[in-house]
Amino acid sequence: MSFLDVLSVIWSGFGVTAEVTLLSLAYGVPFALIFGILQFTTQGWCRHAATIVIEFWRSSPVIILLFVFYYALPLAGLTLQAMSVAALVLGLNIGGYGSQAVRAALQSLDRGQYEAGMAMGLTRIQTLMLIELPQALKAMVPTFVNLLIQLVKGTALVSLITLADMTYKAKSVAQMTFDPASAYMGLLLSYFIICYPLTILGRSLERRLAVAKEGGHV
Amino acid sequence: MTQEHDAKSDDDAIVQIRNLHKWYGPFHALKNISLDVRRGEKIVICGPSGSGKSTLIRCVNGLERYSEGRILANGHLVDHRSDHLRLICQEVGMVFQHFNLFPHLTVMENCTLALTRVRKIPKAEAIEVAQHFLERVRIPEHGNKYPSQLSGGQQQRVAIARSLCMRPKVMLFDEPTSALDPEMIKEVLEVMTGLAREGMTMLCVTHEMGFAREVADRIVFMDAGAIVEEAPPEEFFGAAKHERSRKFLSQLLH
Ligand SMILES: Nc1ncnc2c1ncn2[C@@H]1O[C@H](COP(=O)(O)OP(=O)(O)OP(=O)(O)O)[C@@H](O)[C@H]1O
Ligand SMILES: [Mg+2]
Repeated sequence: MSFLDVLSVIWSGFGVTAEVTLLSLAYGVPFALIFGILQFTTQGWCRHAATIVIEFWRSSPVIILLFVFYYALPLAGLTLQAMSVAALVLGLNIGGYGSQAVRAALQSLDRGQYEAGMAMGLTRIQTLMLIELPQALKAMVPTFVNLLIQLVKGTALVSLITLADMTYKAKSVAQMTFDPASAYMGLLLSYFIICYPLTILGRSLERRLAVAKEGGHV
Repeated sequence: MTQEHDAKSDDDAIVQIRNLHKWYGPFHALKNISLDVRRGEKIVICGPSGSGKSTLIRCVNGLERYSEGRILANGHLVDHRSDHLRLICQEVGMVFQHFNLFPHLTVMENCTLALTRVRKIPKAEAIEVAQHFLERVRIPEHGNKYPSQLSGGQQQRVAIARSLCMRPKVMLFDEPTSALDPEMIKEVLEVMTGLAREGMTMLCVTHEMGFAREVADRIVFMDAGAIVEEAPPEEFFGAAKHERSRKFLSQLLH
């Protein structure tokens, strides 16, 4: 099997890798926004509860979460499809990190922005949605791109719960050809091909934001 | 005590501050402040750094919570029910030391935001109102720019226009010129003087004594959280009664 053949088998798993990534984002982005905002705006028990949820998803090993949700939940009568488990676990894990970026970006805004909003009679929610979040989101873009790259790399784990992603395909090629070296080199190259453009995108966004900060607008 | 205050109060008072106390933890930041602002009156508050000037005017529109006492703004009790505060904030405008314009919005959007979102008037109408007040602060041509493209003095004038758009009954100013370069202070003070001439009720923390002398009806001098002296400008500048006011004035002049 030529190296090109190896690559083409690996890339036949790209659809699954992409699907896991996109579905994870569908869980992770709302989670990051909602919990980051909760941590920023609430106090007392509500804030504690949000923190506990975030820390659970952020500080548990992803591979163990995957196994628990895939193998242990069915014992409790809840069976989720492998794809759903993968998206949920990867999404909320990355969303846990994302929520900290959201909170930090909101906290780093000048408090005068909030005060000006409240002083003109906006509600707390309007101040958040119209004044604080738009500014914070801009500041968060580079972090979010980095988290996206983390996420893509993290999808390699889903092969462990039977999903036929690129890593899964590489493993099967390795077993079939008894040539793990070229299979895994092909896999490494494949992730690089996906992630490198994202890195470049992240850097260019960062540059544009830095310019915008000086010039004041994007 | 109450009698004295009742005698002092009159129905004309658009802002009534009564026996106000504010603690930051153990720190007593405002000590039994009572002050009435009559409709159309211009009051300048001055005093050394940390004397509680900002804290006092921020209590008036609820940005700061007071611990004891009572404030009425245009007849509404300033408490911490958010719907009450929103009502009060629609009638009491505020201009900040650091302008606090919204950097992600254009000058025009800064000015129309509260009109469309709080007053809920149509956008076209809001733009007309905003344009009117931008003309009044003499920057009609910068509506499409972003705040960072303007000079400090222009930004502060936009901030004034943004407040005026809501047609407030009272304007609060917290050291509106102290973040500005000297050459820009004048343009902002001119706008404020114009506003005063047109009869706006103003409560203004500033150390611009020329402005105070020219427009203030009363000067309120604060020190260590209390009002030490309250007098018309000619009296305050000519013959301040209290040692602390005299000391403050002499430091300001030298
Ligand atoms: N959030 C806070 N927590 C604790 N103390 C505070 C807080 N805000 C203000 N203070 C204290 O209250 C006092 C009054 O503060 P304030 O900002 O009202 O003074 P100021 O007269 O406006 O002074 P400046 O001229 O420096 O603006 C100061 O001693 C300040 O340290
Ligand atoms: Mg102050």
